Amino acid sequence: MAAPVALNPFEERLIAALPDSGTDWRARLGRQIGTHGLPHRRVEEWKWTDLRAALAKSEAGAGELIVKGSREPDETAPVSSAPFLLMPRLAAALGGDARVFRIGKKQDGPLELDLTVEAGMGHGVVVVNVARGVKAELRERYHVAPGAFANIAVIINLGEDTELVRLVEQADSAEGVLVVTTGAELGEGARFDQTTLGFGGRLARLETHVGHPGEGAEVILNGAYVLGQGRHLDQTTYVTHNGPNGVTRELFKGAALAGGKGVFQGKIHVEREAQKTDAQMNHRGMLLDERAEIDTKPELEIYADDVVCAHGAALGAVDAEALFYMRQRGMTETQARAVLTESFLAEPLDRLADEDLKTRWMDMVRGALRPDG
Amino acid sequence: MPAVKETIEDVKQLESDKYKYGFTTEIEQEFAPKGLNEDTVRFISAKKNEPEWMLEWRLDAFRRWQQMEEPNWAKVGYPPIDYQDAYYYAAPKNAAKYKSLDEVPKELLETYEKLGIPLREAEVLLGVEGAAETAAAARETPKVAVDAVFDSVSVATTFKKELEKAGVIFMSISEALQEHPELIRKYLGSVVPVSDNFFATLNAAVFSDGSFVYVPKGVRCPMELSTYFRMNAQGTGQFERTLIIADEGAYVSYLEGCTAPMRDENQLHAAVVELVAMDDAEIKYSTVQNWWPGDADGKGGVYNFVTKRADCRGRNSKVSWTQVETGSAITWKYPSCILRGDGSQGEFYSIAVSNGRQQADTGTKMIHLGKNTRSRIIAKGIAAGRSDQTYRGLVSIHAKADGARNFTQCDSLLIGDQCGAHTVPYIEAKNPRATLEHEATTSKLSDDQLFYARQRGLDEEAAVALLVNGFCRDVLQELPMEFAVEAQKLLAVSLEGSVG
Repeated sequence: MAAPVALNPFEERLIAALPDSGTDWRARLGRQIGTHGLPHRRVEEWKWTDLRAALAKSEAGAGELIVKGSREPDETAPVSSAPFLLMPRLAAALGGDARVFRIGKKQDGPLELDLTVEAGMGHGVVVVNVARGVKAELRERYHVAPGAFANIAVIINLGEDTELVRLVEQADSAEGVLVVTTGAELGEGARFDQTTLGFGGRLARLETHVGHPGEGAEVILNGAYVLGQGRHLDQTTYVTHNGPNGVTRELFKGAALAGGKGVFQGKIHVEREAQKTDAQMNHRGMLLDERAEIDTKPELEIYADDVVCAHGAALGAVDAEALFYMRQRGMTETQARAVLTESFLAEPLDRLADEDLKTRWMDMVRGALRPDG
Repeated sequence: MPAVKETIEDVKQLESDKYKYGFTTEIEQEFAPKGLNEDTVRFISAKKNEPEWMLEWRLDAFRRWQQMEEPNWAKVGYPPIDYQDAYYYAAPKNAAKYKSLDEVPKELLETYEKLGIPLREAEVLLGVEGAAETAAAARETPKVAVDAVFDSVSVATTFKKELEKAGVIFMSISEALQEHPELIRKYLGSVVPVSDNFFATLNAAVFSDGSFVYVPKGVRCPMELSTYFRMNAQGTGQFERTLIIADEGAYVSYLEGCTAPMRDENQLHAAVVELVAMDDAEIKYSTVQNWWPGDADGKGGVYNFVTKRADCRGRNSKVSWTQVETGSAITWKYPSCILRGDGSQGEFYSIAVSNGRQQADTGTKMIHLGKNTRSRIIAKGIAAGRSDQTYRGLVSIHAKADGARNFTQCDSLLIGDQCGAHTVPYIEAKNPRATLEHEATTSKLSDDQLFYARQRGLDEEAAVALLVNGFCRDVLQELPMEFAVEAQKLLAVSLEGSVG
């Protein structure tokens, strides 16, 4: 646990919004933030993503999280139990009732949610429950306006033999701060297939925790990012294998331009019971300019002996030989670089079934790689 | 049924007789008063007849240490250490260098014999004048010069004369403080600053001995240098300090071995090793760490909290760390390289074996500051019994490190289902012309390979030893030859009883 800190005005405003006494978890949260502040770089899990510093001078006051969905929530209900981690706990404490979506057999296309904070700070909790045996798709788009702060908890429950494809688009949020913490629990035989595309913000973090029951269940976490001047994006994943024979695949690829900072932290935790786990995690990053930075920590924590777990991480620049080859074919250096970088970033997005969405996402990637048009 | 049985019941007790270094030497020793305060620091400094500035340096470290908190980020667990309940200085009485064999206490002679250092060499080791040449002639090259550290003091250094001819300074750090204070003053703490971390600061305050090596410009050290650390006295901690400087174009290969008696208590070993490599210099540093790991129930054993760092100051300098870690109840150790000079190179080859209830959190740091710096990390971890093992490493490429390259491979092997193996690599890149590759795997011994080996007539333990040796080959081949053989045997012994 990090040492106590002196609070900044933003933290004081946060705490003022929480009840200040009693044994209620909201009051405890207030005391916790009162002592340790918001997560900062001396907190191991936030080592490269200093939320506290990003918000220290924030003037974001009261605001609202606007959730526009392809349909209304099935119900709004108080959060039944407090999330374990600090940021989703804060989202639950200040976000009011959770918006609960149930996905059953009858669906009209994917469930689409636009989550936006236009001004001030907005907190909220979204719950998505997928009924047993159902195949569904969930699409989320996040946007935070300059100066605003969004803190969102997403809770996903997958019943037995369900399949959820989750597509997350994090729009470029120049001066905005965004934290999305997702907790997904899988039932037996469930399949969770997530792809994220992110462009960062003053600071943005997409954190995904998955409870993997093993046997027959499958987890896929893919992501791509392009980060321009002043953009920071942190993708953190934490997969816990609780039962035997589980399969996990992760592939993240990203590019940082001048002044962009990318962070990938991935952890695969294999409990003693989770024998014969097969987990692979990969992160590849490209630093395209001076002052670009990518930090990564691919972690394995393994207590079962009969497993095959691997992770790979590579960081580098555009391959000089490939560049040379393409220039031989008549491309300018700029064109050749763009083509190589695009094809590099396309891999995690390749599996997208919806061709229109894939085209739109690749267009966004292309646009972000050429900030000057 | 799988060849590697999966229950802890099958993991045989780590029998104490497998740790052949667990004996105690009965010899009259003198101690500093128990506990740690400024007087302890003054006592040690006075014993060593140190100059005033050295005492001030130590006292400054001690005062800083009092303000520091013990780190808790490593994945190891142990009850709080009572720093007042230990001796910070223990030395055989009359621990001066011996003039003739008759003066050498019989107990010390026997100790080195038991530790497997050949008698002839042991004579030399014990500092009998004139013996060095005959022993040197008797042994075939390559020769190994040894500095023997017994608890808090260096008892002997061999081949000093021969090394002097080449201009190499190899002596205990206490002697170096008397004979070459200017070198010590210049380099001590220049790689691991006084207040670097809790254990390094403690070491700075109370370090009692260790080895000092200076290889002058353009000299290739004519033999392997080696220090043999032995903890003997009960209730003592060992705090040694090693400083190696390779000047322009110099080369030195240095070996380090460590053992301790079996005791029910936990003994603290907090060492600091500093290496400095100037332009075109190369230092090869190899360790076989075999401190008493504690018994099968986790009782006793050495807490090995060590700070090792190399500063590749010069252009095209190179430092290579090779370690075989089989001992200690708890290991907390990250031999690192600061690649400051353009074109400098850092290497880290490691085998860590944990069994019983051992805990090891070990790895390396490669800090790329200069242009075209290169680093290579090969770490092999083998966890058996109820042990827990973590590779923790950092590769950091700074903004000016154009053309820097790193390759890292960490492989873990689990034997039995009550152990844990973890990988925690930190990778930071701030330069668009750098290339970093990192691979890690965790798996168990392949049943197919075991089956094959057994078909060829090997028993299970021999088959496991063979496969483990294959798994570690990349690292073993980096060790100097004399060490490689010992290390292979040690691997087999450490894993004995880990398969049913």
